[in-house]
Amino acid sequence: MSTILSDELLSELMAVGQLDVLVGLPTLNHADSVGPVVRAAHVAFNRELARERTALLNMDGGSTDGTPDIVRNASIVDRETLLASQSLRTRHRISAPYHGVPGKAAALRAVFAAADLLQARAVVVLDPEIASVTPESVAALARPALAGDADFVSPAYARHPLDGPLVTQVVRPLFRAAYGLALAEPLSGEFGCSGRFAARCLEQPTWESEDLRLAIDLWISGMATGDGLRVAEAALGPRRLTPRQRPAVAALVPQVLDALFTCLRLQETGWAAGSRAIALARSASPPPPPDPPANVDMAGYATLFREGLSALGGMLERVLRPATLEALRAAGAADRPLHVPDELWAAVMLELAAAHRHATISRDHLVRAAVPLYLGRVAWFAAELAGLEPRDADERLEALCLHFERSRGDLVALWTAPLR
Amino acid sequence: MAEAIFSTLRETWSGYVEGLRLVIPRLLAMLTVVAAGWLIAALARAITGKVLGWLRVARLSERTGAAELLRKAELPPAERLAASTVFWLLFLGFLLAGVDALGFSTLQALRSEVGLLVPRLAGALAILVAGLVVANVVRRVVLLAAVNAGWPSASLLAGAVYLLTMTIVTAMVLDQVGLARPIVLTAFAIVVGAVMLTLAIAVGIASAPLVRRLLDERMAARARPESDGSSHL
Repeated sequence: MSTILSDELLSELMAVGQLDVLVGLPTLNHADSVGPVVRAAHVAFNRELARERTALLNMDGGSTDGTPDIVRNASIVDRETLLASQSLRTRHRISAPYHGVPGKAAALRAVFAAADLLQARAVVVLDPEIASVTPESVAALARPALAGDADFVSPAYARHPLDGPLVTQVVRPLFRAAYGLALAEPLSGEFGCSGRFAARCLEQPTWESEDLRLAIDLWISGMATGDGLRVAEAALGPRRLTPRQRPAVAALVPQVLDALFTCLRLQETGWAAGSRAIALARSASPPPPPDPPANVDMAGYATLFREGLSALGGMLERVLRPATLEALRAAGAADRPLHVPDELWAAVMLELAAAHRHATISRDHLVRAAVPLYLGRVAWFAAELAGLEPRDADERLEALCLHFERSRGDLVALWTAPLR
Repeated sequence: MAEAIFSTLRETWSGYVEGLRLVIPRLLAMLTVVAAGWLIAALARAITGKVLGWLRVARLSERTGAAELLRKAELPPAERLAASTVFWLLFLGFLLAGVDALGFSTLQALRSEVGLLVPRLAGALAILVAGLVVANVVRRVVLLAAVNAGWPSASLLAGAVYLLTMTIVTAMVLDQVGLARPIVLTAFAIVVGAVMLTLAIAVGIASAPLVRRLLDERMAARARPESDGSSHL
């Protein structure tokens, strides 16, 4: 424990004593967005969780923009706080740097270690980039674990299937196929969990792996599929990210694919051996899906798909099965509209995952070669959903996820096949 | 007369016999050196193959694209190729030592020339192999970057980069071998200079407006992935 938590932090935590809810906030240069998140947590402490012993622990990766100062000094004297019932509890707010290699994994490890030390009944981890966090959402992530109803609480946002297609077309279906758990947001940076879950995560030797830095959010979601753990989803309403410059699609898709495939590799002994579907409790009925986001550039994506497929054909031959590549070429034929149906997309994703596992070609090249394929699929899916009501679009997305779920046998077979 | 003939014959045959008496041990020595060399080289080939297999060189060559190149050139897989190279280098060394054992002055001169050439050939081979791997990786990186940035003619661009890299590698290989070094260097400088000058003149002076218009037309009509991927998360 002392190797994870610094002596200073240990003494600060000892002063806090036992806790009911520990809110962890990993940050790195989030001065532009962290203030409202801290305020939401504190309002939740004073209002929704007024009877619980609570603390906010900010683990900072060495921000140079004054993030820790903002966390320490964030004002909670606003209208909501004044209206809140007066709490008799002391509210602790600790901001500290963490030990080890910079990255969210090290920050989460320190949060879990602190939760274990303080015997917290529930842990909530917040994402400083999610601007839509509210006191209600903090409480919604904590309550199932506090009540002993769940060990892991994942958020479910009100999102249209075309809002965040990397999640809806890639992460959600493949995660579901592998783990048998129908989480809406396996990639989410915010979640709630029980002290037991935090302790179980802490026991894992994977923390020492360099690969975990890539895949920490998915790894945490994957840990929820462990034996004897109960999983719940909390409906949190719409999700809004803090406006800031993020990587371009061409960089983002490889990052997410690399994280997803690496996570599958790190946890292969768990998911590839099991075959059960994991029950998922929903803490509230899911909110109605909103309208679709701004139009996807379908024609542009289709062009990038066709050109990419033509240019990268030689590379993809080493990654995809001949039948799948042939089907992709037929799907992108110039004389017909683009057509990347669910079964073809599932085959592509499964084979990409297996090729990443076996390192058939350089993993970096593999995930980059997948960008045009992803854009083609998004273009086709957007065309499919055109004119559909949001609820029908949701059902269409569920059909895709079910298709992936049925392909689980293929995934395991490809994954465990001897090296080519 | 007959005695003179017999005497000449006797001297000639005794000379031959004397020569054979001198050569046969040397020949036997050479054969033993060559045979031992073959055995040692074969053993080194087997060990090299095993070690490279243990180091998963086959997978490495697949990942870097070297395996693809070898297949296209109808060459054996990387680990077998490396093992064979070790075998032939060692065997050639023993063969030269064997030739040396014969003690013929003309062959010794040849041996010393070949002996000087072998290290240079080995170095050139290493440069060629490393160059092929680097050129292939660079080609892939450029191709992926160009495709994902939505650039026109990504394959052409990657091919040009590959060709340029291989031109440099070829010049380095020829320089290492020491084959007509001045001619190689001069030819390389002339070719590269001419290509660059042609491009500079063509794009910079002669057809700048045309090139600009063509690029504007091609780029404007093209789809480009968004510069901020937030909406995809």
